[in-house]
Amino acid sequence: MAKVTIYSTDGCPFCGKAKSFLAEKGISYDGIEVQSGSGAWEEMKKKTGSGSLPQILIGDEPVGGYSDLVHLEASGELSRKLGLPEEGKGTPLYDVIIIGGGPAGLSAAVYAARKVLKTLVVSKDIGGQVAWTYDVDNYLGFSQVETADLIAKFEDHVEKYGMEKLVGVEVKALELTGKIKKVTTADGDSYLAKTLIIATGKRPRPLNVPGEKELTGMGVTYCSTCDAPLFEGLDVAVMGGGNSALEAVFDLMKVSPKIYMVSLTSVTGDEILQDKVMSSSKVEIFTEHKILRIEGETEVEGIEIESLKTGETKKLSVQGIIVEIGLLPNSELVMDTVETNRMGEIIVDSRCHTGVSGVFACGDVTDVPYKQIIVAAGEGAKAALAAYDYIIKQR
Amino acid sequence: MDKEVKIYSTPGCPYCKMAKEFLLKKGVEFIDYDVKKDKEALKEMKKISGGAIRVPVISLCNEVIVGFDRGRMEQALSCLKQSSKIE
Repeated sequence: MAKVTIYSTDGCPFCGKAKSFLAEKGISYDGIEVQSGSGAWEEMKKKTGSGSLPQILIGDEPVGGYSDLVHLEASGELSRKLGLPEEGKGTPLYDVIIIGGGPAGLSAAVYAARKVLKTLVVSKDIGGQVAWTYDVDNYLGFSQVETADLIAKFEDHVEKYGMEKLVGVEVKALELTGKIKKVTTADGDSYLAKTLIIATGKRPRPLNVPGEKELTGMGVTYCSTCDAPLFEGLDVAVMGGGNSALEAVFDLMKVSPKIYMVSLTSVTGDEILQDKVMSSSKVEIFTEHKILRIEGETEVEGIEIESLKTGETKKLSVQGIIVEIGLLPNSELVMDTVETNRMGEIIVDSRCHTGVSGVFACGDVTDVPYKQIIVAAGEGAKAALAAYDYIIKQR
Repeated sequence: MDKEVKIYSTPGCPYCKMAKEFLLKKGVEFIDYDVKKDKEALKEMKKISGGAIRVPVISLCNEVIVGFDRGRMEQALSCLKQSSKIE
Protein backbone atom coordinates (compact mmCIF):
# COMPACT_ATOMS: atom_id res chain seq x y z
CA MET A 1 0.00 0.00 0.00
CA ALA A 2 1.26 3.47 -0.85
CA LYS A 3 2.42 5.63 2.04
CA VAL A 4 0.00 8.29 3.25
CA THR A 5 1.18 11.52 4.85
CA ILE A 6 -0.98 14.16 6.51
CA TYR A 7 0.20 17.62 7.35
CA SER A 8 -2.02 18.96 10.10
CA THR A 9 -2.21 21.18 13.11
CA ASP A 10 -4.04 21.18 16.43
CA GLY A 11 -7.45 22.78 16.47
CA CYS A 12 -8.07 22.29 12.74
CA PRO A 13 -11.40 20.47 12.39
CA PHE A 14 -10.80 19.11 8.90
CA CYS A 15 -7.40 17.75 9.95
CA GLY A 16 -9.13 15.70 12.61
CA LYS A 17 -11.78 14.58 10.15
CA ALA A 18 -9.20 13.50 7.58
CA LYS A 19 -7.32 11.49 10.20
CA SER A 20 -10.40 9.74 11.56
CA PHE A 21 -11.58 9.07 8.01
CA LEU A 22 -8.32 7.26 7.25
CA ALA A 23 -8.39 5.46 10.59
CA GLU A 24 -11.94 4.26 9.95
CA LYS A 25 -10.89 2.84 6.62
CA GLY A 26 -7.93 1.10 8.28
CA ILE A 27 -5.44 3.19 6.31
CA SER A 28 -2.28 3.99 8.29
CA TYR A 29 -0.61 7.35 7.82
CA ASP A 30 2.26 9.52 8.95
CA GLY A 31 1.04 12.66 10.67
CA ILE A 32 3.27 15.72 10.53
CA GLU A 33 2.47 18.60 12.87
CA VAL A 34 2.75 21.94 11.15
CA GLN A 35 2.97 25.46 12.52
CA SER A 36 2.58 28.39 10.16
CA GLY A 37 6.03 29.49 8.98
CA SER A 38 7.78 26.42 10.43
CA GLY A 39 10.16 24.20 8.49
CA ALA A 40 7.48 21.51 8.17
CA TRP A 41 5.09 24.11 6.73
CA GLU A 42 7.69 25.16 4.14
CA GLU A 43 8.22 21.49 3.26
CA MET A 44 4.46 20.98 2.90
CA LYS A 45 4.09 24.03 0.67
CA LYS A 46 6.92 22.79 -1.51
CA LYS A 47 5.47 19.30 -1.87
CA THR A 48 1.80 20.23 -2.30
CA GLY A 49 1.83 23.77 -3.59
CA SER A 50 -0.69 24.74 -0.92
CA GLY A 51 -0.46 26.40 2.47
CA SER A 52 -3.87 25.37 3.79
CA LEU A 53 -4.38 22.53 6.23
CA PRO A 54 -4.70 19.64 6.13
CA GLN A 55 -2.70 18.51 3.11
CA ILE A 56 -2.62 14.86 2.24
CA LEU A 57 -0.03 13.01 0.16
CA ILE A 58 -0.43 9.53 -1.23
CA GLY A 59 3.10 8.42 -2.00
CA ASP A 60 4.52 11.63 -3.46
CA GLU A 61 1.24 12.74 -4.99
CA PRO A 62 -0.58 15.59 -3.27
CA VAL A 63 -4.31 14.85 -3.25
CA GLY A 64 -5.56 17.93 -1.39
CA GLY A 65 -7.58 18.17 1.83
CA TYR A 66 -10.37 16.32 3.55
CA SER A 67 -13.11 16.90 0.96
CA ASP A 68 -10.79 15.75 -1.82
CA LEU A 69 -10.19 12.58 0.14
CA VAL A 70 -13.92 12.01 0.41
CA HIS A 71 -14.38 12.51 -3.32
CA LEU A 72 -11.56 10.09 -4.09
CA GLU A 73 -13.21 7.46 -1.94
CA ALA A 74 -16.64 8.05 -3.45
CA SER A 75 -15.29 7.65 -6.98
CA GLY A 76 -13.29 4.51 -6.09
CA GLU A 77 -10.06 6.34 -6.96
CA LEU A 78 -8.69 6.12 -3.43
CA SER A 79 -8.20 2.35 -3.50
CA ARG A 80 -6.48 2.60 -6.86
CA LYS A 81 -4.14 5.34 -5.70
CA LEU A 82 -3.30 3.37 -2.57
CA GLY A 83 -2.69 0.25 -4.64
CA LEU A 84 -5.38 -1.66 -2.75
CA PRO A 85 -7.33 -4.45 -4.43
CA GLU A 86 -10.84 -3.49 -5.59
CA GLU A 87 -13.45 -4.59 -3.11
CA GLY A 88 -14.54 -8.19 -3.60
CA LYS A 89 -17.78 -9.11 -5.29
CA GLY A 90 -19.00 -11.50 -2.59
CA THR A 91 -21.91 -10.52 -0.38
CA PRO A 92 -20.98 -6.95 0.43
CA LEU A 93 -21.59 -5.58 3.88
CA TYR A 94 -23.12 -2.13 3.57
CA ASP A 95 -22.62 0.49 6.20
CA VAL A 96 -26.22 1.47 5.76
CA ILE A 97 -29.24 0.26 3.82
CA ILE A 98 -31.93 2.88 3.38
CA ILE A 99 -35.43 1.60 2.72
CA GLY A 100 -37.56 4.17 0.96
CA GLY A 101 -37.03 6.70 -1.83
CA GLY A 102 -39.06 9.69 -0.68
CA PRO A 103 -37.58 12.93 0.69
CA ALA A 104 -36.54 11.26 3.97
CA GLY A 105 -34.81 8.31 2.33
CA LEU A 106 -33.11 10.35 -0.39
CA SER A 107 -31.92 13.00 2.02
CA ALA A 108 -30.51 10.23 4.22
CA ALA A 109 -28.79 8.85 1.11
CA VAL A 110 -27.11 12.17 0.35
CA TYR A 111 -25.86 12.54 3.92
CA ALA A 112 -24.70 8.93 4.05
CA ALA A 113 -22.80 9.40 0.79
CA ARG A 114 -21.14 12.53 2.11
CA LYS A 115 -20.00 10.57 5.16
CA VAL A 116 -18.60 8.02 2.70
CA LEU A 117 -20.77 5.26 4.09
CA LYS A 118 -21.21 2.29 1.81
CA THR A 119 -24.85 2.83 1.06
CA LEU A 120 -27.68 0.94 -0.64
CA VAL A 121 -31.10 2.45 -1.27
CA VAL A 122 -33.98 0.03 -1.73
CA SER A 123 -37.29 1.50 -2.76
CA LYS A 124 -40.52 0.75 -4.53
CA ASP A 125 -40.46 4.19 -6.12
CA ILE A 126 -38.72 7.54 -6.14
CA GLY A 127 -40.45 10.54 -4.62
CA GLY A 128 -42.85 8.72 -2.34
CA GLN A 129 -45.83 10.78 -1.28
CA VAL A 130 -44.43 13.90 -2.94
CA ALA A 131 -45.88 12.53 -6.16
CA TRP A 132 -49.40 12.65 -4.77
CA THR A 133 -49.88 16.32 -5.46
CA TYR A 134 -49.22 18.25 -8.60
CA ASP A 135 -47.09 21.04 -7.21
CA VAL A 136 -45.39 22.19 -4.04
CA ASP A 137 -44.95 25.74 -2.81
CA ASN A 138 -43.56 25.34 0.70
CA TYR A 139 -40.20 23.67 0.16
CA LEU A 140 -37.40 26.12 0.87
CA GLY A 141 -35.86 27.50 -2.29
CA PHE A 142 -38.89 26.62 -4.40
CA SER A 143 -41.78 29.06 -4.17
CA GLN A 144 -43.62 26.96 -6.74
CA VAL A 145 -42.42 23.74 -8.28
CA GLU A 146 -44.10 20.80 -10.00
CA THR A 147 -43.61 17.73 -7.86
CA ALA A 148 -42.29 15.67 -10.77
CA ASP A 149 -39.54 18.29 -11.27
CA LEU A 150 -38.73 18.39 -7.56
CA ILE A 151 -38.47 14.61 -7.46
CA ALA A 152 -36.21 14.67 -10.53
CA LYS A 153 -33.98 17.13 -8.67
CA PHE A 154 -33.87 14.86 -5.61
CA GLU A 155 -32.95 11.94 -7.83
CA ASP A 156 -30.24 13.86 -9.69
CA HIS A 157 -28.74 14.96 -6.39
CA VAL A 158 -28.51 11.37 -5.16
CA GLU A 159 -27.27 10.21 -8.55
CA LYS A 160 -24.32 12.58 -8.23
CA TYR A 161 -22.85 10.35 -5.57
CA GLY A 162 -23.23 7.25 -7.71
CA MET A 163 -24.47 5.06 -4.89
CA GLU A 164 -26.19 1.74 -5.36
CA LYS A 165 -29.95 1.89 -5.74
CA LEU A 166 -32.59 -0.76 -6.20
CA VAL A 167 -35.67 1.07 -7.45
CA GLY A 168 -38.94 -0.70 -8.18
CA VAL A 169 -38.00 -3.30 -5.60
CA GLU A 170 -40.19 -4.27 -2.68
CA VAL A 171 -38.74 -5.34 0.67
CA LYS A 172 -40.33 -8.52 1.99
CA ALA A 173 -38.53 -9.16 5.27
CA LEU A 174 -36.17 -7.46 7.69
CA GLU A 175 -33.95 -8.93 10.38
CA LEU A 176 -33.17 -6.11 12.75
CA THR A 177 -32.00 -7.47 16.06
CA GLY A 178 -28.56 -8.90 15.23
CA LYS A 179 -25.43 -6.83 14.87
CA ILE A 180 -25.67 -7.33 11.11
CA LYS A 181 -29.06 -6.38 9.67
CA LYS A 182 -30.57 -8.33 6.79
CA VAL A 183 -32.92 -7.03 4.12
CA THR A 184 -34.74 -9.52 1.92
CA THR A 185 -36.54 -8.33 -1.20
CA ALA A 186 -39.64 -9.78 -2.83
CA ASP A 187 -37.35 -11.40 -5.45
CA GLY A 188 -35.70 -13.34 -2.63
CA ASP A 189 -32.36 -11.47 -2.77
CA SER A 190 -30.70 -10.61 0.54
CA TYR A 191 -28.53 -7.67 1.51
CA LEU A 192 -26.50 -7.12 4.68
CA ALA A 193 -25.73 -3.93 6.53
CA LYS A 194 -24.38 -2.56 9.78
CA THR A 195 -27.28 -0.13 10.07
CA LEU A 196 -30.73 0.33 8.62
CA ILE A 197 -32.68 3.48 7.96
CA ILE A 198 -36.40 2.95 7.57
CA ALA A 199 -37.95 5.72 5.51
CA THR A 200 -40.92 3.90 4.07
CA GLY A 201 -43.45 6.71 4.43
CA LYS A 202 -47.18 6.30 4.27
CA ARG A 203 -49.76 5.03 1.84
CA PRO A 204 -53.41 5.89 1.32
CA ARG A 205 -55.65 4.20 3.83
CA PRO A 206 -57.86 1.75 1.97
CA LEU A 207 -61.59 1.47 2.58
CA ASN A 208 -61.35 -2.29 3.22
CA VAL A 209 -64.72 -3.05 1.71
CA PRO A 210 -65.75 -5.70 -0.81
CA GLY A 211 -65.07 -4.64 -4.39
CA GLU A 212 -62.31 -2.17 -3.57
CA LYS A 213 -59.30 -4.26 -4.57
CA GLU A 214 -60.95 -5.69 -7.66
CA LEU A 215 -61.99 -2.29 -8.99
CA THR A 216 -58.89 -0.24 -8.15
CA GLY A 217 -57.90 1.48 -11.37
CA MET A 218 -61.29 0.58 -12.85
CA GLY A 219 -63.11 3.45 -11.23
CA VAL A 220 -61.63 3.35 -7.73
CA THR A 221 -58.71 5.76 -7.35
CA TYR A 222 -56.53 7.28 -4.65
CA CYS A 223 -55.03 10.04 -6.84
CA SER A 224 -57.55 12.77 -7.42
CA THR A 225 -55.16 15.14 -9.21
CA CYS A 226 -54.32 12.34 -11.67
CA ASP A 227 -57.65 10.77 -12.34
CA ALA A 228 -60.42 13.30 -11.63
CA PRO A 229 -60.44 14.50 -15.30
CA LEU A 230 -61.16 10.92 -16.41
CA PHE A 231 -64.54 11.05 -14.69
CA GLU A 232 -65.96 13.58 -17.10
CA GLY A 233 -69.67 12.96 -17.49
CA LEU A 234 -69.65 10.32 -14.74
CA ASP A 235 -71.20 10.42 -11.27
CA VAL A 236 -68.60 9.99 -8.58
CA ALA A 237 -68.44 9.39 -4.82
CA VAL A 238 -65.64 10.91 -2.77
CA MET A 239 -64.89 9.08 0.46
CA GLY A 240 -63.62 11.25 3.30
CA GLY A 241 -64.34 14.56 5.00
CA GLY A 242 -61.01 16.37 5.25
CA ASN A 243 -59.15 18.78 3.02
CA SER A 244 -58.00 16.15 0.53
CA ALA A 245 -61.56 14.94 0.10
CA LEU A 246 -62.84 18.50 -0.35
CA GLU A 247 -60.16 19.15 -2.98
CA ALA A 248 -61.19 15.99 -4.81
CA VAL A 249 -64.82 17.16 -4.81
CA PHE A 250 -63.68 20.56 -6.05
CA ASP A 251 -61.73 18.95 -8.93
CA LEU A 252 -64.76 16.86 -9.85
CA MET A 253 -67.15 19.84 -9.82
CA LYS A 254 -65.58 20.86 -13.15
CA VAL A 255 -66.32 17.54 -14.87
CA SER A 256 -68.90 15.41 -13.09
CA PRO A 257 -72.68 15.92 -13.17
CA LYS A 258 -73.19 14.54 -9.63
CA ILE A 259 -70.77 14.19 -6.73
CA TYR A 260 -71.50 12.47 -3.44
CA MET A 261 -69.27 13.09 -0.46
CA VAL A 262 -69.38 10.33 2.15
CA SER A 263 -67.69 10.85 5.50
CA LEU A 264 -67.60 8.97 8.81
CA THR A 265 -67.48 12.30 10.65
CA SER A 266 -68.67 15.79 9.88
CA VAL A 267 -66.77 17.68 7.17
CA THR A 268 -63.60 19.08 8.73
CA GLY A 269 -61.55 20.75 5.99
CA ASP A 270 -60.79 24.45 5.43
CA GLU A 271 -63.87 26.63 5.54
CA ILE A 272 -63.19 28.37 2.22
CA LEU A 273 -63.07 24.99 0.52
CA GLN A 274 -66.14 23.79 2.43
CA ASP A 275 -68.11 26.84 1.29
CA LYS A 276 -67.19 26.30 -2.34
CA VAL A 277 -68.15 22.64 -2.21
CA MET A 278 -71.35 23.07 -0.22
CA SER A 279 -72.65 25.84 -2.43
CA SER A 280 -72.55 23.61 -5.52
CA SER A 281 -75.85 22.11 -6.57
CA LYS A 282 -73.96 19.11 -7.95
CA VAL A 283 -72.73 18.04 -4.53
CA GLU A 284 -74.64 15.93 -2.04
CA ILE A 285 -73.02 15.24 1.33
CA PHE A 286 -73.57 12.27 3.62
CA THR A 287 -71.86 12.82 6.97
CA GLU A 288 -71.71 10.11 9.63
CA HIS A 289 -72.08 7.44 6.99
CA LYS A 290 -69.85 4.47 6.28
CA ILE A 291 -69.41 2.59 3.04
CA LEU A 292 -70.42 -1.08 3.07
CA ARG A 293 -69.46 -2.25 -0.42
CA ILE A 294 -68.57 -1.24 -3.94
CA GLU A 295 -70.72 -2.79 -6.62
CA GLY A 296 -69.71 -3.78 -10.13
CA GLU A 297 -67.89 -6.62 -11.88
CA THR A 298 -65.43 -4.98 -14.24
CA GLU A 299 -66.32 -1.37 -13.56
CA VAL A 300 -67.78 0.59 -10.67
CA GLU A 301 -71.57 0.65 -10.79
CA GLY A 302 -72.42 1.95 -7.35
CA ILE A 303 -71.84 1.91 -3.62
CA GLU A 304 -73.89 1.03 -0.60
CA ILE A 305 -73.62 3.28 2.44
CA GLU A 306 -75.00 3.05 5.96
CA SER A 307 -75.94 5.81 8.38
CA LEU A 308 -74.02 5.53 11.66
CA LYS A 309 -76.96 7.16 13.46
CA THR A 310 -79.96 5.25 12.15
CA GLY A 311 -78.40 2.15 10.57
CA GLU A 312 -80.36 2.96 7.43
CA THR A 313 -78.68 1.84 4.21
CA LYS A 314 -78.77 3.52 0.84
CA LYS A 315 -77.48 2.70 -2.65
CA LEU A 316 -75.83 5.38 -4.75
CA SER A 317 -75.31 4.89 -8.44
CA VAL A 318 -71.77 6.05 -9.28
CA GLN A 319 -69.14 5.12 -11.86
CA GLY A 320 -66.18 6.42 -9.92
CA ILE A 321 -64.87 6.53 -6.35
CA ILE A 322 -62.08 8.71 -5.04
CA VAL A 323 -60.71 7.56 -1.69
CA GLU A 324 -59.35 10.27 0.60
CA ILE A 325 -59.67 8.88 4.12
CA GLY A 326 -56.17 9.50 5.38
CA LEU A 327 -52.94 7.60 5.45
CA LEU A 328 -51.37 4.50 6.96
CA PRO A 329 -47.69 4.25 7.90
CA ASN A 330 -45.74 1.58 6.03
CA SER A 331 -44.43 0.01 9.21
CA GLU A 332 -45.76 -3.55 8.95
CA LEU A 333 -42.31 -5.06 8.34
CA VAL A 334 -40.97 -3.79 11.66
CA MET A 335 -44.15 -3.82 13.73
CA ASP A 336 -43.04 -6.81 15.82
CA THR A 337 -39.55 -5.53 16.52
CA VAL A 338 -39.69 -1.77 16.99
CA GLU A 339 -42.04 0.26 19.08
CA THR A 340 -44.92 1.96 17.29
CA ASN A 341 -47.65 4.31 18.49
CA ARG A 342 -51.36 3.60 18.19
CA MET A 343 -51.36 4.93 14.64
CA GLY A 344 -48.66 2.44 13.71
CA GLU A 345 -45.98 5.11 13.40
CA ILE A 346 -42.48 4.10 14.46
CA ILE A 347 -41.48 5.82 17.69
CA VAL A 348 -38.08 7.50 17.40
CA ASP A 349 -36.02 9.69 19.71
CA SER A 350 -34.60 13.07 18.75
CA ARG A 351 -31.80 11.27 16.86
CA CYS A 352 -34.05 8.98 14.85
CA HIS A 353 -33.17 5.91 16.95
CA THR A 354 -35.90 3.29 16.99
CA GLY A 355 -34.86 1.58 20.18
CA VAL A 356 -33.35 -1.36 18.28
CA SER A 357 -29.60 -0.87 18.13
CA GLY A 358 -28.41 0.20 14.67
CA VAL A 359 -31.94 0.71 13.33
CA PHE A 360 -33.05 4.25 12.54
CA ALA A 361 -36.24 5.66 11.08
CA CYS A 362 -37.20 8.98 9.56
CA GLY A 363 -39.95 10.77 7.69
CA ASP A 364 -43.67 10.14 7.66
CA VAL A 365 -43.39 6.55 8.87
CA THR A 366 -42.27 7.89 12.26
CA ASP A 367 -44.16 9.61 15.07
CA VAL A 368 -42.35 12.90 14.36
CA PRO A 369 -45.10 15.52 14.03
CA TYR A 370 -45.83 17.76 11.01
CA LYS A 371 -45.70 15.62 7.91
CA GLN A 372 -44.00 17.96 5.49
CA ILE A 373 -41.44 17.41 2.73
CA ILE A 374 -38.94 19.66 4.43
CA VAL A 375 -39.40 17.97 7.79
CA ALA A 376 -38.93 14.55 6.20
CA ALA A 377 -35.78 15.71 4.42
CA GLY A 378 -34.39 17.10 7.68
CA GLU A 379 -35.19 13.91 9.55
CA GLY A 380 -33.50 11.88 6.80
CA ALA A 381 -30.33 13.91 7.25
CA LYS A 382 -30.46 13.30 10.99
CA ALA A 383 -30.97 9.56 10.56
CA ALA A 384 -27.91 9.28 8.30
CA LEU A 385 -25.75 11.28 10.71
CA ALA A 386 -26.98 9.18 13.62
CA ALA A 387 -26.19 6.00 11.67
CA TYR A 388 -22.71 7.37 11.00
CA ASP A 389 -22.17 8.11 14.70
CA TYR A 390 -23.34 4.62 15.55
CA ILE A 391 -20.90 3.03 13.10
CA ILE A 392 -18.00 5.09 14.45
CA LYS A 393 -18.80 4.06 18.02
CA GLN A 394 -18.92 0.38 17.06
CA ARG A 395 -15.27 0.40 16.02
CA MET B 1 -46.02 -5.90 -33.49
CA ASP B 2 -46.98 -2.36 -32.63
CA LYS B 3 -43.64 -0.77 -31.84
CA GLU B 4 -44.97 2.66 -31.01
CA VAL B 5 -44.76 3.62 -27.38
CA LYS B 6 -47.90 5.45 -26.29
CA ILE B 7 -48.60 7.16 -23.02
CA TYR B 8 -52.08 8.29 -21.99
CA SER B 9 -51.89 11.03 -19.38
CA THR B 10 -53.54 14.03 -17.75
CA PRO B 11 -51.80 17.38 -17.23
CA GLY B 12 -52.24 17.36 -13.43
CA CYS B 13 -50.74 13.92 -12.91
CA PRO B 14 -47.22 13.76 -11.43
CA TYR B 15 -46.91 10.02 -12.11
CA CYS B 16 -47.59 10.66 -15.79
CA LYS B 17 -44.83 13.24 -15.90
CA MET B 18 -42.46 10.90 -14.08
CA ALA B 19 -43.26 8.12 -16.54
CA LYS B 20 -42.56 10.45 -19.48
CA GLU B 21 -39.30 11.61 -17.93
CA PHE B 22 -38.33 8.00 -17.36
CA LEU B 23 -38.85 7.25 -21.06
CA LEU B 24 -36.98 10.40 -22.11
CA LYS B 25 -34.03 9.43 -19.90
CA LYS B 26 -33.96 6.01 -21.54
CA GLY B 27 -34.01 7.65 -24.97
CA VAL B 28 -37.34 6.08 -25.89
CA GLU B 29 -39.59 8.07 -28.21
CA PHE B 30 -43.27 8.08 -27.37
CA ILE B 31 -46.59 9.63 -28.32
CA ASP B 32 -48.29 11.46 -25.49
CA TYR B 33 -52.09 11.63 -25.42
CA ASP B 34 -53.72 14.15 -23.08
CA VAL B 35 -56.88 12.24 -22.26
CA LYS B 36 -58.32 15.21 -20.41
CA LYS B 37 -58.75 16.93 -23.79
CA ASP B 38 -58.63 14.09 -26.28
CA LYS B 39 -61.79 12.04 -25.73
CA GLU B 40 -61.01 9.65 -28.60
CA ALA B 41 -57.71 8.83 -26.91
CA LEU B 42 -59.54 8.32 -23.62
CA LYS B 43 -61.81 5.79 -25.33
CA GLU B 44 -58.80 4.03 -26.81
CA MET B 45 -57.05 4.05 -23.45
CA LYS B 46 -60.03 2.40 -21.78
CA LYS B 47 -60.26 -0.14 -24.60
CA ILE B 48 -56.64 -1.30 -24.54
CA SER B 49 -56.44 -1.37 -20.74
CA GLY B 50 -59.63 -3.31 -20.16
CA GLY B 51 -61.51 -0.32 -18.86
CA ALA B 52 -58.91 1.45 -16.74
CA ILE B 53 -59.94 4.80 -15.28
CA ARG B 54 -56.48 5.64 -14.09
CA VAL B 55 -53.48 7.36 -15.62
CA PRO B 56 -50.85 6.94 -16.79
CA VAL B 57 -51.58 4.05 -19.12
CA ILE B 58 -48.52 3.10 -21.11
CA SER B 59 -48.60 0.84 -24.10
CA LEU B 60 -45.32 -0.58 -25.31
CA CYS B 61 -44.20 -3.83 -26.84
CA ASN B 62 -47.70 -5.35 -26.90
CA GLU B 63 -47.92 -4.70 -23.19
CA VAL B 64 -50.23 -2.27 -21.45
CA ILE B 65 -49.10 -0.95 -18.08
CA VAL B 66 -51.57 0.90 -15.88
CA GLY B 67 -49.87 3.26 -13.43
CA PHE B 68 -46.20 4.24 -13.27
CA ASP B 69 -44.31 1.14 -12.25
CA ARG B 70 -40.57 1.46 -12.85
CA GLY B 71 -39.91 -2.24 -12.47
CA ARG B 72 -42.46 -3.21 -15.12
CA MET B 73 -41.37 -0.36 -17.41
CA GLU B 74 -37.75 -1.60 -17.26
CA GLN B 75 -38.88 -5.10 -18.16
CA ALA B 76 -41.06 -3.91 -20.98
CA LEU B 77 -38.22 -1.77 -22.32
CA SER B 78 -35.86 -4.72 -22.45
CA CYS B 79 -38.37 -6.36 -24.76
CA LEU B 80 -38.27 -3.22 -26.91
CA LYS B 81 -34.50 -3.52 -27.15
CA GLN B 82 -34.73 -7.20 -28.05
CA SER B 83 -37.18 -6.58 -30.85
CA SER B 84 -34.93 -3.95 -32.39
CA LYS B 85 -32.05 -6.44 -32.30
CA ILE B 86 -34.11 -8.97 -34.21
CA GLU B 87 -34.59 -6.62 -37.11
